[in-house]
Amino acid sequence: MDKLISLREAIASVADGSLVALGGNVLHRAPMAACMELARQGRRGLRLVKTAGAMDVDLLCMAGCVASVDAGFISYETEYSLASHYRRAVQEGRVAGNEHACYTVISALRAASAGIPFMPVKGLLYGDLPAVNDYFAEVTDPFSGQKLYAVRAIRPDVCIVHVQKAERNGNAGIQGPKFDDVLMSRASGRVIVTAETIVPDRYFARNGQDADIPHFLVEAVVHVPKGAAPCSCAGFYEIDRTALDAFKALKTEAELAAYLAVHGQDTYGRKGGGNGRWEW
Amino acid sequence: MVRENDYRICDLMVCVMARLICDGDTIFHGVSSHMPMIAVLLAKQMQARHAVHLNIPGGVDPAPVHLKKETSAGAELLEKSCAYFPLQEVFDLSMRGGLDVAFLSGIQFDRSGNVNASVIGDYHRPKVRMPGGAGSAVLIPTVKRAILWRTKHDKRTFVEKVDFVTTRGNIDRIVTPLCVFRYEAGCLELDTVHPGVSCEALQEQTGFPLDFSAVRRTPPPTQEELKRLRQIDPKDYRNLEFIK
Repeated sequence: MDKLISLREAIASVADGSLVALGGNVLHRAPMAACMELARQGRRGLRLVKTAGAMDVDLLCMAGCVASVDAGFISYETEYSLASHYRRAVQEGRVAGNEHACYTVISALRAASAGIPFMPVKGLLYGDLPAVNDYFAEVTDPFSGQKLYAVRAIRPDVCIVHVQKAERNGNAGIQGPKFDDVLMSRASGRVIVTAETIVPDRYFARNGQDADIPHFLVEAVVHVPKGAAPCSCAGFYEIDRTALDAFKALKTEAELAAYLAVHGQDTYGRKGGGNGRWEW
Repeated sequence: MVRENDYRICDLMVCVMARLICDGDTIFHGVSSHMPMIAVLLAKQMQARHAVHLNIPGGVDPAPVHLKKETSAGAELLEKSCAYFPLQEVFDLSMRGGLDVAFLSGIQFDRSGNVNASVIGDYHRPKVRMPGGAGSAVLIPTVKRAILWRTKHDKRTFVEKVDFVTTRGNIDRIVTPLCVFRYEAGCLELDTVHPGVSCEALQEQTGFPLDFSAVRRTPPPTQEELKRLRQIDPKDYRNLEFIK
C-alpha cells in the first residue's frame, strides 16, 4: 500500500488537542519539519510527549500550539541554554509543564505498548514530584508488600518520527541512535513517518537492515529531506547552527512566520521541489 | 613547558570527576554534560581502563574522534562503540542495581542532600520553570553513586532548603568550582577545598554553615592529566559552561 503523502496532508490529520509523541532526543533527529507544519497550520491545544525535548517543544510553544508537555527535560544543550519559549509559557500559565523523569515517560509508553493502564517504577522514592502530579501514585506489590510508585500509561493519539529511510508502504529504518522512537511507534494510536529518503519497495527485505518500524503500524509516510533540521540526523547532517541561532533570535509572531515560510518544508533544501514524491 | 599551576577551574573539576571513577565502574552521563563526558574519557585512559562508558545515544565504550560542541548526546558516541545499549536500558540497569555511577546536575542543592532541577515557586505556576531533572528522579535514588557537578557556587545554589525536591538519594559527591562536597549521614559535608579558595570565601558563597575541621585541599591536576585532557578535548569543550 502506498502511504506516501504530502507533509501538509499528513499534519492536517493531527487534530487540535491531540496527544502527540515526538521522536528524537534534544537536538537530534527531532521531527522538526512536522513540528513547523503543525505551527504553520495553527494547531492548538496539543499535549506533547517526549523524554527530552529542545527546539521542537520550544517552537511549538512559541507558536501557541501547546497545552501541556509531559517530559523529563526541556532545554537546549550547554551553549544554547534554556528553552525560553517553553519556559515563559509554563511560567505564564499557558502551558502545563508536567515533569517526569525521562524514565517515567519511557515506562508510561511501555505500559501503553503492553496495553496496561500503568507501570510500576522503581526509583521514584523521594522528592515532591509524586505529590504534585496526578500521573504518579503509590502502589503496593501484591506479592511482597513492597511500596513503589506507578506511572499512568501514556497512549499518544499520534507519534511523529523522522527517519533516514522509509518505503512507501511505511517500513521505516533508523540509522544511528534510535532514542525512544521505536517504543513510541508501538505505544501510539497512529504513526506518521517523515523520511530523508524514500527507498524502493522491499528495500528492507532485500538489504541487511531490517525496518525498525514495520509498515502495518504506520499510517502515513512523508518525504522530507532535511526533515530534522536544524537538529542533526545521523549519517545525513549535523546540527545546523545558523538555522538554530536564527530561531533562537526570533522575538515576534511575524518573525516566526517568516522563519516557518523558509524552514521545514517538504521541499526543504531542494530547488523547485514538488509534491513530496520521489520517483525511483 | 607547562607549569604545575597552568590549569583552569574546568580542568580541575574534570580531573576531580575523573578520579572518582573506579576501574570497572559502569558510568552514565546525559545531555549538557561535556565535563563529565570528558572526565569519563580521561578516567578510561588513567586509573579506570575497564570502566564502561554509557550514554544517551547508546554507544558502549565509544572512542569519539571528534567531540561536538553542541552536544554530549550525539551519534558520534555510537559510531565507534562496541555495542548498542540505549537510554532505556541504562535506566533499567540502574533500577536493577547494576549502574555504578551517574553524572547529574541540578540548579539548587541543600545541606540535607536534596536536589532541585524543577521549579522556583509553585510547581503548577512557577516563578521559574527549569529544564527538569531528566533522569535524576529515578537515577539518584537507584544508582550506586550519583556524582553531581555544578559550575555555579553561590548562596542561591547551595541553600539551607531547596524550593522543590526533585529528588535525593545516593549522592556521592558534588563538584563545584570552589570545593567538593560529600554526602554523609544525611548531610552535605566538605570533602576538599580547591587550591586558592579560602575557607572564608567558601563560607561566604554557601547558604548553610560549613565544618572546616577535617577539610583537605583538592590535589591540582597532574601534568599527565592535563596532557591527556588536551588530547581528548583539543577544542576545549570542558570550558563551555564557564564561557556562557
